[in-house]
Amino acid sequence: MSTFTTFLKIEGKLVWKGMDIFIFGICFPILLSLLFGYLLNNDASMGFSTFDLSYAAVVTIGILATGVMGLPLTIADYRHRGILKRFQVTPVSPLTILFAQGVIQLIAAIISFIGVTLVYQLVFDYTLSGSWPLFLLIFAYVTLAMYSIGIFIGSLVKDQKSANLWSSVAYFTMLLFSGATIPYEVMPRFVQWGMDILPLSHGIHLLKQTSVGEPMSDGFIHFGVLTLCILIGLGGATKFFKWK
Amino acid sequence: MVLSVKNMTVSYGSKKAVDNISFTLKKGNVIGLLGANGAGKSSTIAAVLGVQKSKFEELSILGKSPIRNRKEVFEQVGVQFQETNFQDKITVKEACEQWQSLYKKTGDLSQLIQTFGLEGKENQLVKSLSGGERQRLAVLLALLPNPKLVFLDELTTGLDTKARRILWQHLQNMKKNGLSIVLTSHYMDEVDALCDEIIILRDGVTVFKGTVSAALESSKKTSLEEAYLYYSGEEDKW
Repeated sequence: MSTFTTFLKIEGKLVWKGMDIFIFGICFPILLSLLFGYLLNNDASMGFSTFDLSYAAVVTIGILATGVMGLPLTIADYRHRGILKRFQVTPVSPLTILFAQGVIQLIAAIISFIGVTLVYQLVFDYTLSGSWPLFLLIFAYVTLAMYSIGIFIGSLVKDQKSANLWSSVAYFTMLLFSGATIPYEVMPRFVQWGMDILPLSHGIHLLKQTSVGEPMSDGFIHFGVLTLCILIGLGGATKFFKWK
Repeated sequence: MVLSVKNMTVSYGSKKAVDNISFTLKKGNVIGLLGANGAGKSSTIAAVLGVQKSKFEELSILGKSPIRNRKEVFEQVGVQFQETNFQDKITVKEACEQWQSLYKKTGDLSQLIQTFGLEGKENQLVKSLSGGERQRLAVLLALLPNPKLVFLDELTTGLDTKARRILWQHLQNMKKNGLSIVLTSHYMDEVDALCDEIIILRDGVTVFKGTVSAALESSKKTSLEEAYLYYSGEEDKW
């Protein structure tokens, strides 16, 4: 077996033995989608209901929890305990380690996506008005952007403490202020300006537009922000990766 | 030359942890780095491996730079650090399989597991092993790639007498087959049994370099332990 598949198998087992990925990556978003189904207004007489719009936001929570939280914390933990230092004196490339960890977390994010989608569709009769392929494409791009942020944090932080701090900052601000949980539309205008800085706000905006089949008229700026995250995140991670 | 280091200095801020160390190592030879705790042994190893920043005139492992040619060099070099940490819930078998996957070619894993007395423990969590077993696993992983050169930082610390003897025997066999070793140790019987040459460090400075018998001769002591204490400045001070 290649280094990558062996890492995927063994590290995957190790990550799943810890329950964090299961609770925060999968259970939490699914529970939230059940809650939204009961709480949010599902009256679609005026175009789209708040519930309809919430789908595009809730599917991103799994990405956040795995990419911005799980991924950097695992890498920082390995660095902190000298496990990466041991890998440094072997032929393995840091990219293999990062990529394998990324794929493991991604699998949880995909399970979470499927779970949330099933709850929306089967329990609350949600239908996606826009095109599925386009929606999935945008979802993949948003995922790539969020994981780039996570890989960036994980590659650079010097210890477990700062990994906790920075991934929590990234996770909670985006969870609360990018429309993933509290809808962008209900926020006061001045808070919305602040929210516009957060990369995930742009991702959710694009996802909402595609989910209801609206044209992405202002897509340029949103794609621009996401692309910037990917370039800075992955570029910075390869350039500044720290083994110890 | 398997290893060649010339005028290497490691500094932490303004403090010099290793001051101008130079040494070379031939195929099938063993060099021992000796010194009190904090004398600069581990810093030397870390700098030679390229894990720790250092200044040097020359640093080459198997003819290549461990910093610029990391991948090629470490295909043929094994390392056991003083402290070996494993992933939290990894089993012995998984740790070995993962290590095996890092290299193009490796030695016979089940043979090594037997040699290091870990058979029957394959499915145990690494963290549930005893200190000695964990140490043996760390040395096993260092030898797994069938290396040409291996670094062993305090290789038998935590091992009982029998395990130490078995390990020495094993290393001596591998040495005969051409393995070169850089080791650090606090046990002079071990140094005597394994090393062709020793370097004694005192506050980062090389105070002796040569064979064990040369150390005895120049210090006018009768045992390596006394000679070591004489050079390392540990004779009387606590």
